[in-house]
Amino acid sequence: MIGNNHIVKKLFQLSGLVLLAGCAAKGDYPGVEYAPQMYHSVPYEQLSQVQDEEAGRWLTSLDEGPAEFYNSNPLNPSGMTMRMPVEGTVKRNANGYLPYRIPKDSFALAGRVMKNPLDSTASVISDGKALFLRYCRHCHGDTGQGDGPVGKVYKGVLAYNSAAVKDAPAGRIFHVITHGKGRMYAHGSQVSVEDRWKIVRYVQTLQRQ
Amino acid sequence: MLKPVKFSPFKEKSRHLTRTFCLSLVALIFSATVAFAQDGEAASGGADDGIPSDPAVISAGEALFKQNCTVCHAINDRVVGPALRDIHTRRPLPWIISFVQNSQKVIQSGDDYAVKLYNEYNKTQMTSFDFSNEEILSVVAYLKAESTKPAETADPTTTTTDGQVAQGGGSGVPSEYINIILIGLLIVLALILLVLVLIVSVLTKYLAQKDDLDEADKDVVQNRFDLGKTLKGNTFMGFAVFIFTAIVLKSVIDGLFTVGVQQGYQPAQPIAFSHKLHAGQMEIDCNYCHTGVRTSKSANIPSPNICMNCHTVIQNVGGQTGMSPEIQKIYNAIDNNQPIEWVRVHNLPDLAYFNHSQHVKVGGLECQTCHGEIQEMDVVYQFAPLTMGWCINCHRETQINTKDNAYYDKLVELHEKKSKKPMTVEDNGGLECAKCHY
Repeated sequence: MIGNNHIVKKLFQLSGLVLLAGCAAKGDYPGVEYAPQMYHSVPYEQLSQVQDEEAGRWLTSLDEGPAEFYNSNPLNPSGMTMRMPVEGTVKRNANGYLPYRIPKDSFALAGRVMKNPLDSTASVISDGKALFLRYCRHCHGDTGQGDGPVGKVYKGVLAYNSAAVKDAPAGRIFHVITHGKGRMYAHGSQVSVEDRWKIVRYVQTLQRQ
Repeated sequence: MLKPVKFSPFKEKSRHLTRTFCLSLVALIFSATVAFAQDGEAASGGADDGIPSDPAVISAGEALFKQNCTVCHAINDRVVGPALRDIHTRRPLPWIISFVQNSQKVIQSGDDYAVKLYNEYNKTQMTSFDFSNEEILSVVAYLKAESTKPAETADPTTTTTDGQVAQGGGSGVPSEYINIILIGLLIVLALILLVLVLIVSVLTKYLAQKDDLDEADKDVVQNRFDLGKTLKGNTFMGFAVFIFTAIVLKSVIDGLFTVGVQQGYQPAQPIAFSHKLHAGQMEIDCNYCHTGVRTSKSANIPSPNICMNCHTVIQNVGGQTGMSPEIQKIYNAIDNNQPIEWVRVHNLPDLAYFNHSQHVKVGGLECQTCHGEIQEMDVVYQFAPLTMGWCINCHRETQINTKDNAYYDKLVELHEKKSKKPMTVEDNGGLECAKCHY
């Protein structure tokens, strides 16, 4: 019996190791990190921010300053690691597109002045279609009838070939994508200038259907 | 002030002209009215409001209405524009016709009702439609016909779709029934066991009373299963210890493998955003919000202005009215100029480099390959282990799409000299240490 008790004690010690199962990530708990110092970024990291100065103090060798995991910029608003571009500055771009200056509500002007820098080639139209499916389809529908899954709930999405917009010139379409019109909001921040012109080429094929 | 009228042939001629003009104008108006009335009568078969009731006209109006108007108007509900039930009693026909043909003209003419309408609907312009009078009449005829039907409340489409989606997941018997069936089966089995035990004990008792059994049979009847003895026996003890140690070792090894792996991490987010609703049900493309995925290392979490592209208009879900508390949080963030502090789910260690555009744009991978069926997730969790072994495995197996890409021509040529297998990421240096660790 004594031998048996000894075995039982050993078994209990072994079962303590089963607690390791608690290392796995679940819910809000990200799990045990193998080498925390190597996991947490020393330089500012995009999309992750640790504002607690004491986070990771237990493995910090320095006594002063914020602890190991701290990762935010106290000089920026809300401790963010990124800043908005300075107001009035212009982003340089490789294609030499000038900043777009036509006022928000000047749709007719945009339609008159702007010309599509891209030709209507097969590759531009197929690129335009791919972009259309990414950025427009959920409202405007597969064929621009305004019957996308969001469009049906959103309401007020015009068909591209309806009398009101079927003759809209390229510049106007570009302007509407950039600044929005009516119930459609501005998409200039999401879609690059070149991509917008590609979408315009594809939308023009849908206007004529 | 009156001057004496002088007779002059010229004046006479001009007066004559004026009179002729006036007369012809009256005649024109008269004939137009008559023609209009006749038109109306011909179509309506005698109704006095000038709205046709001919079924053919109504169905033509229905087609026109559904093609052109339903994006902004419904019969019973206010959508972008007002509900159009009983429009024929609210506004006179000529007004409706001129408003549909050019609403801005009517508003600019200072028409009280039109101006009020324009202001009530946040100065949203109604598109001008170049319909003929007859076409607009047919639409009004359709609206009149619909108005006489009893009002139905709009069914919340979103909820029904939701229900369908929820049910679509399981095929055949729903999971809660399966549990009930299993429990039922267990009870039946336990009852059968009980009955069998009873039968055995009754039979044993009966046989024990019998005297005419031979030795072997007696042994069987009198043999009792000694539980305590078996438990203390070495064979059982050894077996139990072996099983226990095996289980413990297995859990230890499994536990150690989870260290540093965050698979299954599912943090609560500051806003109860559902990918299932947005990417699944509403079919919004991942690229629409995660704008960086094709152009940069990081896929990006969308800023609130992208949320507001839709949520300026859509303020609640499932057909409910008012502002949803979750959507209100986006408004608050914008009003207070405070960032929304989303919790990052996929945290790659700082020692490994990963680039989204390289995998999505160049490699042509689907988001789901690494992130799982994200369009089915209400709350996002880490689907893949994101371990080095997992990365390497994919690099070994994935073939490079070298078609129509001049960049790969020489590489493919070199590769084909030494191997007959198709070129994988591994052959392109996908296993080199410094590709991901530097």
